Amino acid sequence: MSLENKYNLKSPGVKRLMREARELAEPTEEYFAHPLEDNLFEWHFTVRGPPNTEFEGGFYHGRILLPSQYPMQPPNIILLTPNGRFEVNKKICLSISGHHPESWQPSWSIRTALLALIAFMPTPAAGTIGSLDYTPEERQALAKKSKKWECEICGKIADNLSSQSKSTLNLTHEEASLIQQIALKAEDDTTNKEMCNKPKDDRKIKTTIINEENTLRQRGVSQSCENISEPVADVFMETEVSLNPRTIDQIFTVVMWAIVFVIVLLVGRRFFFLN
Amino acid sequence: MGDEMKNSTEESTPVNQDELILAQQRQIEKEISESIALVGELEPISSLNREYSNDEVYLEKIKDLSSKYKNIRRTRPDGNCFFRAYSYAGLERLLDKKDEFKTFYKQAEESKNVLVSLGFQQFTVEDFYDTYMEVLKRIGDIVEVDDAKKTLHYLFNEQGYSDYMVVYLRLLTSGQLQKEQDFYSCFIEGHRTVADFCHQEVEPMYKESDHIHIIAACAALNTGVRVVYMDRGNNKSVTEHDFPEGCTPSVHLLYRPGHYDILYP
Repeated sequence: MSLENKYNLKSPGVKRLMREARELAEPTEEYFAHPLEDNLFEWHFTVRGPPNTEFEGGFYHGRILLPSQYPMQPPNIILLTPNGRFEVNKKICLSISGHHPESWQPSWSIRTALLALIAFMPTPAAGTIGSLDYTPEERQALAKKSKKWECEICGKIADNLSSQSKSTLNLTHEEASLIQQIALKAEDDTTNKEMCNKPKDDRKIKTTIINEENTLRQRGVSQSCENISEPVADVFMETEVSLNPRTIDQIFTVVMWAIVFVIVLLVGRRFFFLN
Repeated sequence: MGDEMKNSTEESTPVNQDELILAQQRQIEKEISESIALVGELEPISSLNREYSNDEVYLEKIKDLSSKYKNIRRTRPDGNCFFRAYSYAGLERLLDKKDEFKTFYKQAEESKNVLVSLGFQQFTVEDFYDTYMEVLKRIGDIVEVDDAKKTLHYLFNEQGYSDYMVVYLRLLTSGQLQKEQDFYSCFIEGHRTVADFCHQEVEPMYKESDHIHIIAACAALNTGVRVVYMDRGNNKSVTEHDFPEGCTPSVHLLYRPGHYDILYP
């Protein structure tokens, strides 16, 4: 079924997304985004790593999840290509730097979000949730690797962007100053589930929202995620290196059982000695 | 033992209290918003009594209020109440005065270009503008005033349309502030430019309105408003304030700390 028949075209939110889909239909050199064939509220995008930075030459792919109340609520961006700046498979929100996520403005758009993402990539991670602080060398290596990265739905992402040599970024003055103000930050899983409104199920949106456990496990090392539709947990299994509270728990349990075992052994030995 | 360990690690990581409070606040807001219509039905002023059944100060003031106004129309307290109430009441009144409605419509038609010339993104402004004009056209085309009012009420309770009306009025207000920023900059607290203030306090949804929002919105729509203040203050009567000062107000709003409802004389 085509998107036109599936959604209530009278709904301003749907109209808005249709409009944005038309506006972004042509790939530019810097970015490309399109709604999934069967879901207007989930988009995939590709951005080119900004030139003269450690992301130069890289192609970064991800998902955009639009809440049912878009554009009143901000979209969530999820990067899928390992990049060394943002954790992959983690929801990132837009807001004005230093302000709370409700500073999202309905007059911003998916284009604004992508421009802000490109502009925000080279900024220091500074310990923000969802940010990674890789060295320039590591980021360069990931940028190089990203050229071969493929999305199950969109194919080889490096081919998604237009290859015109001339820049097509025509920023208005307003946009240019705007995107400098926008910050991208991941949701803090423990405190603000409501912060980025999740899309409702009423439009059959298969958002596969990454559950908390997975995002917890993911904290630590970034990894290549080749297959986006696989359950996320599988991908992270082998990559867990850092000690999060869960692994500490496990270690303690093991140590405890070991101690109990030794005590039982000693008591038993004493018992047998007495006999 | 595992649990203890977990607790201690949680304590050692600084929990962001602000965000916790915000999350809780959002939850409360959500509950409220689900229980109150975006714009309610007409009710007598005396319906306020039941909210303050044990409160002498307020009961006294409601008595005073009912000597001046017959009815009240409640709006959802979601931070957009001023914009929603003001825009609804303004349009409702215009439906009775076709000539004024035409002037208003014309002015609204031109407003998009004003915003674009001020540097707003054409693409998104157009989106809100189109819906705003669609609503004006739909209610303006209905000959029977009562039917038009019903349609207005229906559209303002459709979340999509209603919020789009709020956004466009927020944009117009922001445009007005930026157009006359020399004047408005004196009223802005902290070291913020008018543009910053607009981006942070006017354009985002759910941001509550202050005097400065009201003054700018009135100037943008060329519609005066009387705000009737009802709070715990010592005087026995309610306080009235007209924006802009000295105008003949066409819209009357009741302000109780943090919230605006519509009043009808």
